[in-house]
This record gives sequence, structure tokens and C-alpha cells, in this order.
Amino acid sequence: MHISEGVLSPAVLAGGAALAVAGTAIGLKKLDYEAIPRVAVLSAAFFVATLIHVPVGPVGLHLVLNGLMGLLLGWLAFPAILIALFLQALLFQFGGLTVLGVNTVAMAVPAVLCFYAYRGWLRRGGTLARVAAFACGATAILLSAVLVAVALLFTGQGFLEVAELVALAHVPVMIIEGLITLFVFLFLQKVRPEMLEGIYA
Amino acid sequence: MPERIRPWPGKWPTSWLQGLVIILVLQALATAAQAHRVLVFAYGEGDTIHTDSKFIPDTPVRQGKVMVQDQKTGQTLLTGQTDDQGKFSFKIPTAAAAEKMDLKIVVEAAMGHRGEWLLKADSYLSGVKSAPPHSPAAAPPLDETRANTGKMPVLPSQVAPSGDPVAKALNLEQQALEFAINKALEHQLAPIKEMLTQLTIHRTSLTDILGGIGYIMGFFGLWAYFQSKRKKDS
Repeated sequence: MHISEGVLSPAVLAGGAALAVAGTAIGLKKLDYEAIPRVAVLSAAFFVATLIHVPVGPVGLHLVLNGLMGLLLGWLAFPAILIALFLQALLFQFGGLTVLGVNTVAMAVPAVLCFYAYRGWLRRGGTLARVAAFACGATAILLSAVLVAVALLFTGQGFLEVAELVALAHVPVMIIEGLITLFVFLFLQKVRPEMLEGIYA
Repeated sequence: MPERIRPWPGKWPTSWLQGLVIILVLQALATAAQAHRVLVFAYGEGDTIHTDSKFIPDTPVRQGKVMVQDQKTGQTLLTGQTDDQGKFSFKIPTAAAAEKMDLKIVVEAAMGHRGEWLLKADSYLSGVKSAPPHSPAAAPPLDETRANTGKMPVLPSQVAPSGDPVAKALNLEQQALEFAINKALEHQLAPIKEMLTQLTIHRTSLTDILGGIGYIMGFFGLWAYFQSKRKKDS
């Protein structure tokens, strides 16, 4: 999911950076005292998940957990993802500082979208909430794949071709992330329902 | 089971089990490895440059687009595609050899992954330089007495006045020998060069990851600290 440095055109980079700044600003505005530990934990989880790499498919895959972040954080996913990506770029040259904005947008926007899309279902509980939790994890990945393809669109690579490639490569990830999101949701519902306050707010 | 302190409310054995399962699944999936960074490695052998591209740690970049550029001007000299082993070889372009360009080899893999390798002119031209035995730029020939006395090689001007046919023949022979040695050495050293690059890769270790988590916690801790101060002050 991480786009490397030197691939994208300056216009795309600037656009991504602007969107990331806007998203992070909204996120920070909503970041109140009580939410900080939650953001920190999920930022760390994202940091680790995107760094660890499973040898499946053509390039190997890693988890992203952005659906889960959306579910638990909403807009706060922006600062959480930004910080994790910043550290990955700095410590591991993974992604890059100039592409930081684009990469943040590619992973945080789906988180926010899924948060709003599935919030209603998650609130209702029961089977509907379970389906929504799974779908939240899976759709976030799919949307990320689409956003990566959009970013690469301007580099002259065919949109459908790239989108298809990225999406197909991530089908296993979508399923795994759906399951993880579902399990974490059920787990938190049982032991720490207050961590899910985001969807009830 | 004896009563223990419950940090969290709820039926904890089952829910903890669920948590444990999640963690175990994650662990099982995770082979400690680095994410999708593309590593490009190139070396010259004779008049050919071999490139090898892989996703760290060890997945070849299949059908990746290779671009060979002049480091100074950024002009693309040639392009190609990696095979199923992530390898791509090409003859050294004459322009590059003539102007001693440092070559930047860029590999673009699918989904926006990209890697670079800078191949210095010195390192890939060494094979070319000694290749044509008639080349005036060839490495200085060795003193013919070297074999007997073990003396250091001396400069060509001191050895052979151009008129001497015997010295000339010796020179040629030595150059041919040197060429052969160079070639053999390159061949032998190629795997070592590759190993060296392997060693220079910084692989993500557990320590790195823990360090990163530490940064994140520290950062949010600071944020929390300043927010708590502000709360107290107001």
C-alpha cells in the first residue's frame, strides 16, 4: 500500500499532502484528552501491522488495519496513521517523506469513510453489527487499493489495470482484516465497550 | 479456578482467549520481515551489466520496468524488463562507456514500488578498460622481470620503447593474461559482491519495531502531558 518515493508527480504529491494536512487538522481538533491512549495504541498497532510482511501473492502482503482504526477512531485515524507512516519513512525508508501525504490519505480516508458508512449498523448490535464489522475491515482495504490506483493514475499507468492488480492482490488481506476487525469488535464489545464510544458519539 | 484480580469486567476467560487467538493468528501470519522495499543491485561483468531486483527480503521483482539513466543528466539510456528471477542484463551503452557516466538504475515494480541503484563508472568500466588488448588506455603492463624477481610493476614508458618487438609481444601477452585474470576475478567476485549488498540491507528487526512503538507511545504521552497541563491551568 505504500507508494515509494519518486514515483508520483509533484501535483499528486502536493494534493495528497494538502488532503493529509486537512484530515489531520480535523482529527487533532477532535482529539480530546480521553482519546489519546486509544489513538496511541492503534497507531502502534498500525505501525507494526504494516511493517510485518506475509509472503503471499506476487509481492507479499501486510496487514493495514485501517478498517479497524476507522471503526475505533473515526477522524482520529488521520493523526494516528500519519505518525506511524512518518516513523516508518524515517526509520525504515518505507514509503518516504515526500509521499507521506499521499500514503496517509490512501489509508486514512477509507478509515474515515468506513467509520461513517458502518456506524449505524455497528450501533444496532446483533448480527447486523457483526456483518458491519467484517465489512468495515474489508472495504477499507478495497478503498485503499482504489486510492492507490487513483494516485498512480497520473503516472501514466492504466487506472483499471493498477486498481485490479492492487485489489486482487489484497483479496486475502481483505478477508483477514475483516475477520480481525470482527473479532476485535466482539472482544471490545464484551470487555471494554467504552473503547467503542466513537461509533456511539 | 481461584478468584483473581480482574482488571477488566466481563467473563474474562473466554474473552481473553479470544484476544489470545487474535494475537496468535497475527504471530503465525507474521514472518519477521521488511515491507515492500525494492532492492536493486547491479554489477558489471566484462561489457555487460547485470541487475538483480527483489522485494526485501527475498521476492524477485517479476516483470518490473528497468530504466538505466545517466546520473548527471537524468537522461534515460535504455529500458528493459526483469525476468521471473528479477534479473535483467544489458550491454554497457557505448555512450556511457565513452563519457564514463555513473549509471542510475531505477526499477519500477507494480503498485508504486520503486528502487534505485547507483553504479559508479569506475566499478563497471574496469572490465571494459582492459578488454581490448590494443587499447591505449589499457592498464599499465607489468615489467617482464616481475615473474623472476617479484619486483613491483613499473610504468610502460620505462619498460618498452615502442620499437622493440619482443617487448611489445610480451606486453600483449601480459595484457591478455591480465584480461583473463580480471574476467575470472569478476566471475568469482560476483557472488561475493551480491552477498555484500545483502549484508548492507537493513532488515527490520524486533528492536526496530519496538523502538518505533516506543516513539509512538512517547509522542502521544507528550501530547497527553501538554493537554493535562492545559487542563490544570485553565
